[in-house]
Amino acid sequence: MSTQLLTSKRHVVEDPTHAIEFCFQQGWTDGLPVVPPTEPAVRAMLEAADLEPDKEVCFITNRQVAVSAEKVAVNAVMAGCLPEHMPIVLAAIEAIADPKWGYHGPAASTGGAAPLIIVNGPIAARLGFNSGDNLFGPGWRSNATTGRAVRLIMRNVIGTLPGALDRGTVAHPGKYSYVIAENEAESPWTPLHVQRGFTKEQSAVTVLAAEGPRQFYNQLSSTAKGVLTSLCDDMKHHGATNSQPQYVVVLAGEHMRTIANDGWSKADIQKFVYENTQNPVAHIKRVERLAGSVTPQDETSMRPLVASPDDVLVVAAGGRAGAFSCYIPAWAGGKKSSQSVTKLIQDRRP
Amino acid sequence: MAGFEILDPTVEPRKQPLTYVPRPDSLRGKRIGLIENTKFNSDNLLVRIGEILKNEYGVAECKMWRKHNSSVPAHEEIIEEARRSVDCIVAGIGD
Repeated sequence: MSTQLLTSKRHVVEDPTHAIEFCFQQGWTDGLPVVPPTEPAVRAMLEAADLEPDKEVCFITNRQVAVSAEKVAVNAVMAGCLPEHMPIVLAAIEAIADPKWGYHGPAASTGGAAPLIIVNGPIAARLGFNSGDNLFGPGWRSNATTGRAVRLIMRNVIGTLPGALDRGTVAHPGKYSYVIAENEAESPWTPLHVQRGFTKEQSAVTVLAAEGPRQFYNQLSSTAKGVLTSLCDDMKHHGATNSQPQYVVVLAGEHMRTIANDGWSKADIQKFVYENTQNPVAHIKRVERLAGSVTPQDETSMRPLVASPDDVLVVAAGGRAGAFSCYIPAWAGGKKSSQSVTKLIQDRRP
Repeated sequence: MAGFEILDPTVEPRKQPLTYVPRPDSLRGKRIGLIENTKFNSDNLLVRIGEILKNEYGVAECKMWRKHNSSVPAHEEIIEEARRSVDCIVAGIGD
C-alpha cells in the first residue's frame, strides 16, 4: 500500500450531506450528486490499481494537463465507482488521450460527441457490465459509474466544461455516461477487441468519439440480408452523411441470431454495410449536405459513408427480445481528427 | 477543526510562457500565408481577406494551405513550408 502523500487540496465541511452540496457549489459535478471523495476512498481506488498517486496516467497536450492517478481516483470515487472499476477508467482515459483519438476535437466540438466505451473480455462479466436488455439505459453500476468517471475527469481535470471548452450544440445523454459491454457469452462472432489485436482472455476498452445511438426496426425479415438492408437504408440517410470516420453497428439478440443463422461473419456484415450505405453524390448535393451544383457524373458517382469496411465496428449487444438494433455514428471530424482506439485493461490487482 | 474532509478533484493547467514574434510595421511587400481550416466557405473568406490585404495594404502575394481538419493544428508540412515561404500568417476558426 502506498504511503505517498495525496497532494490534492483538502476542503473541510460539516458532514457528508454538506460535502455533496459543496461539490455542487464548486461546479465539480455533472448535475447529479457525487460521492464525497474522502482520503480512505481515494486510497482504496489507488490500491486496487496498484498505482502511486503521482503516477502520470496521460498528458493532454492541447490543455497542458497531466492526469495523475490520484485525480483519476478522486473523480472515480465521486462518480460512484468501486475500486475494482479503476482499471477500466484508467484504460478509457488512456484511450481518449491517445493522439489517434485526438482529444481536443471531439471533446470541444459543437458536434457534441461523447466517448462511447465498449468493454470486452472477462472483466465485463466479472464486474457485471450490462450487455443485454436496456443496453444504453440506467440500472447497472459498472456501466453508469465508469462512464461517469471519465466525464468527471474530462470536466474536473482536463477542463472540458460545458459552455467553455465543451461547446456541443445539442450533444446527447451519452455525455453523462456511455458504456456498454459486448455480449460475448451469446455472440456467435469474434469479439471486437480480438478483431483489434487482443486475445479473448484479455480485457480491453474500445473508445469512439460518438453521437447518440440510432435505433432501427426490422421484424419482417428472417434473413441477414433483409435485416441489414433495413439498417443500411436508415444509416445512409442519417444526420451528417458526410464525414463520419467510423460507425458502430450494435446488433441485439433477435437480429444477431437471424444474421448468424445465415452464416454471416462480422466481416460479411462489415462488407455488406460498406457496400449498401453509399449515396450518389447527386443526392447528397440535392439535399444540401454537400456544396456545389449537381453535375451529370454526380448521378452515378457513389460516395461511401466510410473509407473501408473495417470502419464499421460490429458489436453483439442488446436485449434478447425485440426486433431492434442500432447504429452509432462517430463524431464527424474525419479520420485525421479522431478515430476509435482500443486499450488493454490491465489486471492491476496487487 | 472537527469536520468532514474531502479532496479537490480539479487541477490547474500547466503554465507555459507565450511569446509573440514581433509584428511587422507594415504589410507592404510582405508574403502572406492563409491557413484554411476546411469549414465550408473558409476558403472563400480567406481569398477575400487576401484580396483586401493586397489591394488595401500592399501585400505582395498570398498563398493558401488547407489543414487536415478544423479541430487539429496545422500539420508539420504547412508549418515547414510557411516558415520558408511567407512572412506572416492569417489563421482562425469559426463555425
